[in-house]
Amino acid sequence: MSENGLHRERPDLDQATERKIRTTAWFATGVMLSWNLGKRVAFALFPSLCAQQSEKQVAASNPSQLANSDRPSSSRASDLNLTLAHETHLLRRRRWGTFLVGCSFAASIAGFLLFFTAYWTGGSNQMLGGGLALFLSGWAAAFIFWAHLLTAHKEAVEPREDMQPPARDREEFEQAFCDGSRELQRRGLLKLITATGLGFVALTVVSLFRSLGFNPNNALYTTVWKRGQRLMTEDGKTIRADTLEPGSTVIVFPEESLGSEKAQTVLVRVDPSQLQLPDSRHDWAPQGNLAYSRVCTHAGCAVGLYLRTAHMLMCPCHQSTFDVLRGAQPTGGPAARPLPQLPLYVDSDGNLRAAGGFSTPPGPGFWGMPS
Amino acid sequence: MQIYLQQCAKCHGPTGEGISAAVTIAGPNLWAEDDPGRVMTALEVGPSHMPRFEYILSVAQMHAVSDYVAHTIAQIHLNGGDLSRGGELFRRNCAACHRTAVRGGGLVFVGTNAPSLTGKSAALIAGAIRWGPGPMPRFPPSVLSDHQVASIVDYIRYVQQPASPGGSALNWYGPVAEGFVAWVGVLLMIGIVMWIEKGGKG
Amino acid sequence: MIASIARWLDSRTRAAKFARSIMNHVFPDHWSFMLGEIALYAFVILVITGTFMALFFDGSSADVVYHGSYAPLVGVHMSSAYQSVLHLSFDVPAGLVIRQMHHWAADIFLGAIAAHLLRIYFTAAYRKPRELNWMIGLTLLLLAIANGFLGYSICDDLLSGAGLRIGYSILLSVPVIGPWLTFLAFGGTIPVSATIPRLFAMHIFLFPALIATLIGAHLALIWRQMHTNYPGKGRNDRVIVGSRLWPSYTLKSIGLFLFVFAVVAALGSFVQIDPVWIYGPFKADAILPGAQPDWYLGWIEGAMRLFPSVNTHFGKWLIPEVFFPGFLFPAVVFILLYAFPFIDKLISLDFRAHNVLRMPWEQPFNTALGCAVLAFLSVLFVAGGDDVIAVAAGAPLAWMRELLRYLAFAAPLLTGVVAYAICETIRRRRSRAIPAQPAEPFERSEVNVEMR
Repeated sequence: MSENGLHRERPDLDQATERKIRTTAWFATGVMLSWNLGKRVAFALFPSLCAQQSEKQVAASNPSQLANSDRPSSSRASDLNLTLAHETHLLRRRRWGTFLVGCSFAASIAGFLLFFTAYWTGGSNQMLGGGLALFLSGWAAAFIFWAHLLTAHKEAVEPREDMQPPARDREEFEQAFCDGSRELQRRGLLKLITATGLGFVALTVVSLFRSLGFNPNNALYTTVWKRGQRLMTEDGKTIRADTLEPGSTVIVFPEESLGSEKAQTVLVRVDPSQLQLPDSRHDWAPQGNLAYSRVCTHAGCAVGLYLRTAHMLMCPCHQSTFDVLRGAQPTGGPAARPLPQLPLYVDSDGNLRAAGGFSTPPGPGFWGMPS
Repeated sequence: MQIYLQQCAKCHGPTGEGISAAVTIAGPNLWAEDDPGRVMTALEVGPSHMPRFEYILSVAQMHAVSDYVAHTIAQIHLNGGDLSRGGELFRRNCAACHRTAVRGGGLVFVGTNAPSLTGKSAALIAGAIRWGPGPMPRFPPSVLSDHQVASIVDYIRYVQQPASPGGSALNWYGPVAEGFVAWVGVLLMIGIVMWIEKGGKG
Repeated sequence: MIASIARWLDSRTRAAKFARSIMNHVFPDHWSFMLGEIALYAFVILVITGTFMALFFDGSSADVVYHGSYAPLVGVHMSSAYQSVLHLSFDVPAGLVIRQMHHWAADIFLGAIAAHLLRIYFTAAYRKPRELNWMIGLTLLLLAIANGFLGYSICDDLLSGAGLRIGYSILLSVPVIGPWLTFLAFGGTIPVSATIPRLFAMHIFLFPALIATLIGAHLALIWRQMHTNYPGKGRNDRVIVGSRLWPSYTLKSIGLFLFVFAVVAALGSFVQIDPVWIYGPFKADAILPGAQPDWYLGWIEGAMRLFPSVNTHFGKWLIPEVFFPGFLFPAVVFILLYAFPFIDKLISLDFRAHNVLRMPWEQPFNTALGCAVLAFLSVLFVAGGDDVIAVAAGAPLAWMRELLRYLAFAAPLLTGVVAYAICETIRRRRSRAIPAQPAEPFERSEVNVEMR
């Protein structure tokens, strides 16, 4: 209420004038602030502008304040020249330091602006990261220059704690522990309860593993392949005995599990006269159509490479090679076991079907793998 | 057709199968040359080892040859491919040897090498898919349809000069090159700490 | 201002005395003491960038169809995890640079840890009383390697899929418990929908928490035991020489943090890492060559490539060939590393505590051993990338791999012998130049202890 009253006591100031005064005041403040800021930045960047001033300051101040305490000030006359030279050196160093810190920080600001603009205008990855890198490295350099040139370096020496801890500490601890445990009654029972409880905790944790489904059961031994499954490509096309020409290849799956990792099979066709399959497999490759598991027996990658002329399947991960003509026996690289073969037959429609599962469990080896 | 058999079949074979560019003297496969304009240009300019037919054949004869090549010999029609589908097929059938960035090199262990596909023309790629030069398996129409081949070609053409939005692609060598760069970064950092401590006395 | 804040805080925590002792803590002035700090700051960057990415990443293998701005994958079926990585890379402002920074920071993190480990080894800083911190550091290295592998695996692209298959095979190959262990970790025969969420949870909760905790313990022990000092004038086991935390070391350390951040940002913006969009989504039937892990697993990859193809049977049971190079070999390497402070005690018969480092030439055997192991690992690293190197250099790979097999034995021997000879020479020359002096007598009054 009283404020309102005060305002009414100054009727000569109409609103327009008031606004004008306020604007002028703001403007003046702004000018003063920016002048001060600009002066500071300019002095920081170009220390020679304020050189005279600071030299006076140095002369006035006690030299030992600037100099390090590791170089104690001396009152001897012969040292006077040396001290002066050192002082000038320190001053130059400080000016140079201020300049470098200022430049680094200016670069940092430029980097930040680059990042900021790039971000808000949807700039490229290079602008964004480059701006960020410039911003951060400029800032970092400012700190390091500060540490190098604008900090009085002192080498500090501190004693370490004694390497041999006093035996008394330990004895006191043991004493305190024993005293405390003597206050416990029926200590045997406490131990039993704690041990049993911890055992139960362990059992609980192990039981929870069941939720994670850790029992492999038969999963490592079997695939969907069984007698009668038609061979299909991933998009569901059936494969006939003459779909492939000698020298071509296709990836097939059992019709019930298209796109399956474990059941993926590579079908290649070769000239039947070249086949060197063991006798037990003489009818596994009708018309030269050979099907092998496509999962490498070494480390489980897909055996993706087929060399038509060398009749060789190869795994791109560790360069194991398998001889297609001889039941995919390993011929090079680190794999030690052949790729499992899938026996095939041609049904009455001319489609290729599996005559059974793989000859051995597919995929990389494990402890219980039958050989 | 007469002219084709006389002039072109020596290198490109009577049905245009060539043996692709894997063997230097044999002419490229023409199965994918479904663009008469491109055949015309080849006849006039004579790319690579091919002779220039500008002065041997009349323009009308060249037109006849290019029509014959484009409409009778070309079996793969390279239009209407689907880029994404091509990518899937590429990763399934081709990437194992030619690498996902078509820079080749998958077969280096067995002494031969899957060539880099950068700079290869669409026709050459499509022809190689069907014909299977060198140790490369063949992909007959019963395995990959024309549309699928066209899609793969589209994808390969895209990946020949892929964008690398993240910066230098290190020639698409993958983690090995990245590891080297990471160590350059670590050594740079070590250089920086040396500067920070100016070596130091420890 | 500072005074009033300090008064406010001190009247509630009584921390002023403690804070003063912190500010006076002495750090040695030598660059090699900052290697571990690079790793620390890389970890900080990993946490910062990782938190940003976790807001966009979807750790699920649900099947989705891509409709983002990367044309060659539009309409392709992929896992939700892979799709969210594509979204982060192409459609989130600054997403790609953050993702690349995260990956580069991981590589630099491991590189700095390795450099730090080498410095500790070659100057025998693991001796009493620092054995415990040596072991914590090794555990950190193990966790960092594991978390790095988890990190690039959850992108669910074709390259990481190959890595996942190899990791799966290695775990599966462990005798007796392998299959159970594998199913526990991966949730079934991969690819299975349980894998990605499991790895993601471990990557962002379990392992970072463990790493952060152990970093805390590592630093606390360093603080308690203080840094070592290089030998020199005025250096002995009972003092520490260097500069104080405030202000010298604080400025340097902040500067270093910003520099690490800047280097990571520069790499993240100018060098592309892990371009998952070129690799494509993980599909069971797709594969690519050059399927290398990140560099810190390269030595295991190399061992797997060089190891001969042998079928080992234990009765009717099979020990697969990947078990030896993929599991046993790294396990032995780490067990030996863990035990090294104690092995060193047996070698040098020195059971005392030390705060002054032993220079490499003062311990020729250890240096030779370290160099030999380093040479062996280098051969393995080359072998791990041998197919890419062969392609880049145009060398025949089969021949190269035979050569590397011989080198794996020859290089360590040769390097070890040469290193031993060099160390002995330096040691002799030094002992001739500076006749052996009795250790400087230490008296507390002689030391200029600065009190501020």
